[in-house]
Amino acid sequence: MHQVHFYCWHFMAYPYLPADFDDKYESGWVTVPNSLWDHERADTLYQGYIDQLVYAEELGFDGLVLNEHHQNIYGLMPSPNLIAAALTQRTERAKLVILGNILPLHLNPLRVAEEYAMLDNMSDGRLIAGFAIGGGPEAFNYDVPQPQARRQFWEAVDLVARSWVEDGPFRHEGRYYPLRYVNLWPRPRQKPHPPIWIPGALSLETMDEVAKRGYDFFLSSRRHDTATQMAVERFADRVEAHGGAFHPYRMGILLSVYVGESDEQARAESREGVWYFLRNCVKGHLRSRGRNLTFGPGVPSASVTSWETYLERADPTTNNFGDVETWEELDSWSSVIVGSPETVRNRLWRMIESFKLGTILIQFHFGNLPDDLTRKSMKLFATEVAPKLRSDSGALFAEEFPALGEMLTRPGAAA
Amino acid sequence: MSIRTVDVRGRAVELIEAGTGDALVYLHDIADIHAARPGLLPFHEALANEFHVIAPAHPGCAGSDENDDIEEIEDVVFHLLEVLDALPFETFALVGAGVGGWIAAEFSVRYPDRVSRLALLGATGLHVPDQPIGDIFMAVQSTDGGMYPDFRRMLFAAEDQAEALAMFPDGLGEIGNEMLRYRMFRFLSRVGFRPPYLYNRTLRDRLYRYDRPALIIWGSEDQFVPGTHADAYVEGLGHARLEMLEGAGHSTWIERPGDVAALVSEFLKS
Repeated sequence: MHQVHFYCWHFMAYPYLPADFDDKYESGWVTVPNSLWDHERADTLYQGYIDQLVYAEELGFDGLVLNEHHQNIYGLMPSPNLIAAALTQRTERAKLVILGNILPLHLNPLRVAEEYAMLDNMSDGRLIAGFAIGGGPEAFNYDVPQPQARRQFWEAVDLVARSWVEDGPFRHEGRYYPLRYVNLWPRPRQKPHPPIWIPGALSLETMDEVAKRGYDFFLSSRRHDTATQMAVERFADRVEAHGGAFHPYRMGILLSVYVGESDEQARAESREGVWYFLRNCVKGHLRSRGRNLTFGPGVPSASVTSWETYLERADPTTNNFGDVETWEELDSWSSVIVGSPETVRNRLWRMIESFKLGTILIQFHFGNLPDDLTRKSMKLFATEVAPKLRSDSGALFAEEFPALGEMLTRPGAAA
Repeated sequence: MSIRTVDVRGRAVELIEAGTGDALVYLHDIADIHAARPGLLPFHEALANEFHVIAPAHPGCAGSDENDDIEEIEDVVFHLLEVLDALPFETFALVGAGVGGWIAAEFSVRYPDRVSRLALLGATGLHVPDQPIGDIFMAVQSTDGGMYPDFRRMLFAAEDQAEALAMFPDGLGEIGNEMLRYRMFRFLSRVGFRPPYLYNRTLRDRLYRYDRPALIIWGSEDQFVPGTHADAYVEGLGHARLEMLEGAGHSTWIERPGDVAALVSEFLKS
């Protein structure tokens, strides 16, 4: 029976900002002064976060998800590969998902191919290899010009994938990364190569490029509603247009969850962490207040026509994700789910049932949420929420995708 | 005035043409024609009273096609050469503002015989140690839900002066104008986002190659390109004169269109 897969996602946020951070600083990204780093308290930060991920494997999560961010308080993993390397030695079963290495930030994508191949061997074939383009903050972090970034990205993806499957040495004649000798040692453990996940927004262009290559799509969105439904349909359409088979594991979404004993208790326990995350971590990214580093003429990644479409609907004065004021307003985004096991189970089931997706990535640690509460929420999720969603999703997928078993055994099919 | 497009090796280039007389090629900046407003602005109208003004839009700006092969300033200079070859003028006066001034300077040191006179207004393009060009890409990113004080502050003497607010209002502006700005920044990103940031380290030592008269006009309160860059242009070019406009910001052609047009016109006719 093929059931929904739950992955534990971690940002590794910086949790020790002063209480007046939001009043004093325009962004949690790029320009946030690193003089705010608290040397003493931050000593055990990475160890604590790694321990939480190890605990997620103990609780039965299917995978652990890492991500790359730079010069910010949102996520302290400039190199997620280092954390993954540590996890290869402390875990045995869970998939290690790096979502992903931001390719345009690397001078030579072969380094990414090499490190991923090492991690795949070190983890005995548990790596899921993600590649990301990077957005506005990353453009400012490493001075990456945006109009060319997409083209540069796909050249890098194709070079990495080719270096994994083709015997070397071979020559790569690219525009951005011309190389006379491509000859990877080590080769990846998984055949033909680790599963490849690529994040994207609603852009049809990215979905098409992902589908064309047979990779899996991760919808990078903080609002789950009819737009998510549309994204599933669009991506499924692109997969089938390229002769592939769409099934629940071809696409994933990110949710943030806090489970408490009751709705009231869940809100009371998570309130500070959730709003630390929204007000501080998201500031500069998905927040109207402060400086918007993610969208705008300074980081013009959108094509001219997409930007025009965006402007026709845009209202810069409306609340963005990070500006939400109340639990009710937050609920309307459907991406931060806080409540009792029953509430969380019901809300997740509604999404699984309507989107029919089998890859659910869940952030359990928010901003400055304490370790004990993070673990309690993870455990309640694993014991009180996940089991029924797993079995119910198994029945749902069997009914909706009768050929799922066969699809998954096809060569190149992602698991 | 006419707005038309010419075909340059299969790509459209939009040109504004106005006036009669000696040819004057104008290369635009950010608070400018093709990048902030369609059609002519008072400064260009004043010049068109005395010259035949030809103003091409940079690749991707206004009605000019984008060109993915443009990745550095050298590509822009070669593109400009092709545009000018498509026009019926062997020589012309070259006037460049801001980033357009950088392109004008790069062109002039390569093809000095084609440029009868050179006028640069708050031009980027030079590396002056410890005198960095302001980060216009960061400044154009709105704050607090669509506000642009930093952008206006960088391009004008005061962020709340009437010309600045009229050209770059807070909130969502008229879509056509917003799109001009967006296209301009796509172009700027291609040639100046990755360091060297809106300059070419070799340009300063090549300025001597343009040995005809040049006029450098600058606002004393320029927050985008420091006034020390004006001195560097004057020093490098050899036959250049500086007009420092006290109290003006970067976009002198918007803030003092009459004064700047008179200075340029007088210089070109002298």
